[in-house]
Amino acid sequence: MNLSFFDQFTSPYLLGIPLILLSVLFPALLFPTPNNRWVTNRLSTLQLWLLNLITKQLMIPLNKKGHKWALILTSLMILLLTINLLGLLPYTFTPTTQLPMNMALAFPLWLATLLTGLRNQPTTSLGHLLPEGTPTPLIPALIMIETASLLIRPLALGVRLTANLTAGHLLIQLIST
Amino acid sequence: VLHTTRALHTAQQRLAPLPPLPEKGGEVRYGLIPEEFFQFLYPKTGVTGPYMLGTGLLLYFLSKEIYVINHETVAAACILSVIIYGIKKYGSDVAAFADKLNEEKVAKALSVKNEAIKDLETAIEQEKKEQWRVEGCKYLFDSKRNNVAMLLETNYRERLLTVYNEVKKRLDYQVAMQNLKRQKEQDHMIQWVERNVAQSITPQQQKESIAKCILDLKALSKTAQAAV
Repeated sequence: MNLSFFDQFTSPYLLGIPLILLSVLFPALLFPTPNNRWVTNRLSTLQLWLLNLITKQLMIPLNKKGHKWALILTSLMILLLTINLLGLLPYTFTPTTQLPMNMALAFPLWLATLLTGLRNQPTTSLGHLLPEGTPTPLIPALIMIETASLLIRPLALGVRLTANLTAGHLLIQLIST
Repeated sequence: VLHTTRALHTAQQRLAPLPPLPEKGGEVRYGLIPEEFFQFLYPKTGVTGPYMLGTGLLLYFLSKEIYVINHETVAAACILSVIIYGIKKYGSDVAAFADKLNEEKVAKALSVKNEAIKDLETAIEQEKKEQWRVEGCKYLFDSKRNNVAMLLETNYRERLLTVYNEVKKRLDYQVAMQNLKRQKEQDHMIQWVERNVAQSITPQQQKESIAKCILDLKALSKTAQAAV
């Protein structure tokens, strides 16, 4: 089977069975569940150290209430990191190069932030639509522009991840030959 | 789910103490294949068995083109060599780092315990010192008691002296009064006697006395002249 450069971006199938679920869940195998021990083996220690580092970096700017997001943001970050890094190995498939998967990640999270902001602090979240210090005649146009940018955001984020990964992997393949 | 999986828990559920971690992980050859595989094949094929298996499989895949050599093979070879180089060079450092993290964790907890022990020991020593001080308090109290007694004694003596002085002053006053009175009476009497005597000397008596004196003087002068 002669491989072209784009074969790494096709969703893997084995005898008609889609293997995409396996490739998404595989990174979970690399992180063993933390057991009850206080002093763990080297792998768990290193992973815990990395996890702590990432969580600290994410959570330091936030106040106490923002720490609710710690679990989902950290786990999301670790998942994406692992998936993307594993995709650099030969004969691997990177799920995040598929646009549907990135949209599935982007839309719910974006909607969650938007609705949380609108529910808890409606005036502040609507106030974000207008940057500070705009001259008065520009206000209507600017509000429309900001609304459009807000609604486009999930599409932008999803496509951004897809495009970055696809381009990166392709570039690496091109340069390696 | 919790209750259906209960049958799967064969070991005794015990949260602490956990069995200690084994010192070394499972033995692996070439970093990938566990030693048990070689031991498993040893009775049938001897020492070279697994190697023959590996080589045979590889050549089979290559010759029958089940595994095609393509550009990814080169990429795989490069990546593999980089990974192996990285592990060989930095593996021990990473292991030391992980061990250091664990050591720091344990050392932090131990230091808490040790500091608590040290604080308690210093507290014990201070307590013993306090007890020694309490024993010394007896002497302190004795000396204080002596001090107080001396002060009282001194004060008492001072007051006695004051009393004595006051009484003496009053008695002296009385004595002086009596002396003065007697003196005054004496003077008065002497004056009265003198006055009366002076008054009683009439002029007649005065002339008689003066004539007598002259006669006496003449007589005396006669005898006196005779002596010279």
